[in-house]
Amino acid sequence: MAVTHERFEQGMTYDEYKVQMTRNRERLEENERTVELSADDIEFFTNLPEPLNVLVITEDWCGDAIANVPILGRLAAESGKLNLRIFLRDQNPDLMDHYLNRGIHRSIPVFAFFDQQFRPIGHWIERPAVVTEMQEKMLANLYATDPAFADVAPGTSIAVLPDAARARLMQAFAAFRAETRLLADREVVRELRDVISRGLALHQEA
Amino acid sequence: MDIDNGRHPPKIKIVYCASCGYEPQTLELVSALMHAFHYDIASIEIIPWQDGAFDVAVDGDLVHSMYRDGGFPAPEAIIKAVRERLAR
Repeated sequence: MAVTHERFEQGMTYDEYKVQMTRNRERLEENERTVELSADDIEFFTNLPEPLNVLVITEDWCGDAIANVPILGRLAAESGKLNLRIFLRDQNPDLMDHYLNRGIHRSIPVFAFFDQQFRPIGHWIERPAVVTEMQEKMLANLYATDPAFADVAPGTSIAVLPDAARARLMQAFAAFRAETRLLADREVVRELRDVISRGLALHQEA
Repeated sequence: MDIDNGRHPPKIKIVYCASCGYEPQTLELVSALMHAFHYDIASIEIIPWQDGAFDVAVDGDLVHSMYRDGGFPAPEAIIKAVRERLAR
């Protein structure tokens, strides 16, 4: 499925998306306000050879989307080089199924980059890879060392986890998110730069 | 009103991914269980979670796991599992 100019323009602008949000708008705007972008990052996007069209698939109930869409929003505002159109995942299955995570998961957010002729440059899904790896390590360490997880196998469903272990897991996730936010934000920008750089280089070679 | 008819009423736990928008499936299952069993279950605990979870346990036995079994359970399948627990 090729994304056409007409299909792209059916999406919402970033401001239109924020206006129609029914939840988490305050969190999204707080993340947008507080994300730390380096001068080098802003320069990279400002110096893009042409403005890019960015198709965003998201939903306002998704934690990864509330964390990462505003980073893209700030990059667009600071650089003036990213033309965003937002699509809600559950109302646009044709788009979502084109960007499945590992070919099966409808993970969001999705950021798909196109040049002015709507030739694909590359896309980015959900969260930085390093954050997923760190989360898996945090969980493995928790299960191995925390007394609340004695005799509990890693990967045990929350539905059969002892209450003390579940409470401990919730605390650990909250602490992990707080401790890794700065790194996660930087990794999002680094991965986006990498996706765009590689895609533009391939276009130049072609 | 016969609260438990001498049987041990089961406790049901439903874990759903709150960041995935699984509230409708959760409420559909809760409604089906309430209508099927009335006083014959001790409790239905709804646990908001993340990472795409939709798991159901009856008295500590995992009867459905989205990760293990894939997808959402048919409410009839969970009702059958609860009936089997009540019959023990």
